[in-house]
Amino acid sequence: MKNRNKLLALLLVIALCMGAAPALAGGVLNVQFDVEIASMDPQIATDGTSFEAQSAVIEGLYILDAAGSPIPAIAESTSVSEDGLTYTFTLRDTVWSNGAPVTANDFVFAWRRLVDPAVASEYSFIAGIAGIHNADKIAAGEEPLEALGAVAIDDHTLEVVLDIPVPYFINLLTFPSFLPLSEEFYLSCGDRFATSPETINCNGAFIVTEYEPAANTIVLAKNPDYYDAEKVALDGIRYQVIKDSQQAMLSYQAGDLDVVTLAGEQVDLFKDDPEFQNIMAGYLWYVSANEQTAGLENANIRNAMARAFDKQAVADNILKDGSIPADFAVPKLLATGPDGLDYRATAATYLATDKELALEYWNTGLAELGVSSLSYSLVVEDTESAINVAQFLKAQWEDTLPGLTITIEQMPKKNRLDVMREGEFELGLTRWGPDYADPTTYLENWTTGHTNNTMRWSNLEYDEIIASATKGELTLDPVARWEALKAAEAMVMADAAIYPVYQKGDAVMIKSNVSGIEFHSVGTNRVYKNAVKE
Amino acid sequence: MHKYILRRIGIAALTLLAILFILFALMEFMPGSPFNDEKLSAAQRALLDAKYGLDKPMPTRFINYVINMLRGDFGVSYNISKNTPISDLLKTRLPISLRIGGQAVLLGAVVGLLLGILAAIKHNTILDPLLTVISVLGISIPSYVFALGLSYVLGFQLGWFPMLYRQQQALQSSVLPTISLSMFTMATVARFARTEMLEVLGSDYMQLAETKGVGGFALIFRHALRNALIPIITVLAPLIVGLMTGSLVIEKIFSIPGIGQLLVQAIQSNDYNVIAVLSFLYSLMYIGIMLVVDILYGVIDPRIRLTKEANTVHE
Repeated sequence: MKNRNKLLALLLVIALCMGAAPALAGGVLNVQFDVEIASMDPQIATDGTSFEAQSAVIEGLYILDAAGSPIPAIAESTSVSEDGLTYTFTLRDTVWSNGAPVTANDFVFAWRRLVDPAVASEYSFIAGIAGIHNADKIAAGEEPLEALGAVAIDDHTLEVVLDIPVPYFINLLTFPSFLPLSEEFYLSCGDRFATSPETINCNGAFIVTEYEPAANTIVLAKNPDYYDAEKVALDGIRYQVIKDSQQAMLSYQAGDLDVVTLAGEQVDLFKDDPEFQNIMAGYLWYVSANEQTAGLENANIRNAMARAFDKQAVADNILKDGSIPADFAVPKLLATGPDGLDYRATAATYLATDKELALEYWNTGLAELGVSSLSYSLVVEDTESAINVAQFLKAQWEDTLPGLTITIEQMPKKNRLDVMREGEFELGLTRWGPDYADPTTYLENWTTGHTNNTMRWSNLEYDEIIASATKGELTLDPVARWEALKAAEAMVMADAAIYPVYQKGDAVMIKSNVSGIEFHSVGTNRVYKNAVKE
Repeated sequence: MHKYILRRIGIAALTLLAILFILFALMEFMPGSPFNDEKLSAAQRALLDAKYGLDKPMPTRFINYVINMLRGDFGVSYNISKNTPISDLLKTRLPISLRIGGQAVLLGAVVGLLLGILAAIKHNTILDPLLTVISVLGISIPSYVFALGLSYVLGFQLGWFPMLYRQQQALQSSVLPTISLSMFTMATVARFARTEMLEVLGSDYMQLAETKGVGGFALIFRHALRNALIPIITVLAPLIVGLMTGSLVIEKIFSIPGIGQLLVQAIQSNDYNVIAVLSFLYSLMYIGIMLVVDILYGVIDPRIRLTKEANTVHE
């Protein structure tokens, strides 16, 4: 009893000692996260929240500008060999927050860590996609780390050798997995690396002043030693993890938050508010139709189903978050072509909602199959929006296509991924988010035998185009490559291999005195370097 | 008494081991794995499984885990906070959950008792039915409804307390979660205290005490309350356990970096080690509280202690 009293007294004293929080300075931006940072280690992190915080405090060779194009950051100048295989980066004179200079070896060390099988980074494949010499072999344990095609010529010169000329290589360098890491600093942290402000070395616009693993509050301050510090207007950023969307919105209304993400019905409530904004995200949601299921191997049946539901209604009535109907397999605002235009600006659209045409395909398909009715189950993860969309699809399909019966099967996302990967499903509502700004980040998924080709669709001509566009001859001719990718997309769509449903939009509220936050659909989603809070 | 306690502790330890084994078995049957993100290829998943020893059969993993646990190594988180030792996560989160839970028990028990006693003493006035209505509301309204209501009124509209938990304002910002959490305990204790007090107040020995001139405060607190306390402690134990589950929702609403929130997230992301440690911890608390309650009976009521001792001797 006595000890318990003592404990309570102690707790009370500790609580009182903590005192009141100091008032936040005017130039500190208060931002909501809806999930904790999973890791501040750039080579380990895999999620958007971690990427956002890392990119605020660490800068790589290139960063994205407001329009989403790569611009030099730590790289002062870049020269490319004529064959497009050797990149030589000359680094700017910049320093880490521990005072040490940022050197070419910091990149070599970080990238070796990325592909090191002992580190087992979940994003190691991105070094292979970048085409860095021997990246895939090292990740598979077939070559030593030293064989990686990234070499520090001297402190200011980094040479990167590629296996193939990757057209989006510079763009990929903005991806957080390629952020630098000082070997000396990393080793000095022991096994505590990236777990506290002291063990996170920063060279970006901000430095970490408050952080612990899975923290609910993360505080960043302006980095006075940042090479571009004069352009950084904010005094800092304060991230607050709030998972309950109603509480988040109340905090926003109370003035404790400057940026908040809306969920579900809130979007409808606030969509006319002047501080409301729609942000286009990169995620494409689509239905995967397993072609090993009786009936779904028939292209007419697939073409019927892909056209038979009202996509506009999914976006406008079900989601209401700024999502747009998807009549394509490669989303908007993802990639810019050799012509300087967005991929979608010159590519055709496919599989638009057309219930009459759907019915024609349906009747033809049924006749070919010699049946009068079909019934399928649709697997869907147990989130509110996914279930709502699935129920709408079911109603529309059953209404438009006579003889079709759909049963919805809800399960946790991890489970859905498993059954779809194993092919133990008929129809599945799924999504894909882009890893880099090129159509192949989507199109490669649907090549024969690919893990994400859950529908088991196969077209050898398609496989050839994608192979050539990623590792082959087409990489040498950007213009021809671009056209070939459009042709490949047309093949997926003509076969209705997937039924595109919508491209995800995010609804956010941003205080009217805040401007200059840059939103991107690939890699780092929100950039604050140029943000201003008046 | 000592032998009895030792035996109870022994049984508790074996129960915990069995719980841990069942947990491992259940996680084995859980769909998915920590590493089945859509971005990962089969080779990468195999690499990650090997790195964390997930490629080994369940019994081996269980034995390894128990051995490591005895050494104080609870493993690392796979998803929530990648590669962070779980002991690190607990170090900051467990005290917060315990503190808010403790505050809620204290508030609930004390206020509940006072309300119950008040209702019993003022048995024949309007106060009694009024307090009964309040406690029925307290029992039937879920804690998260209180949480959202309190947060909206006292936090947002009146601005008296912070809406979200802040480490720098640990006391002020724990007021709303504490009240929301304590409601159920408060109402239940109040109801029990009222019934027990009424019974005790009507008993012969109380009337005797009253005629002997023991009056007012001493009569209620020294004589009546002590006798009314035993059944109340019996209900308090499961209530404390109930608080732990209530904290899962309350922590989410007030953004409290505690272990309740961690458990929910761990289950959603198949973060095996976090699930194992936290479920183990909850079981430990449950069994521990039951043990303490059993021992407390003896302290409060000598009759129970004597009977138990007699039983132990006979065995």
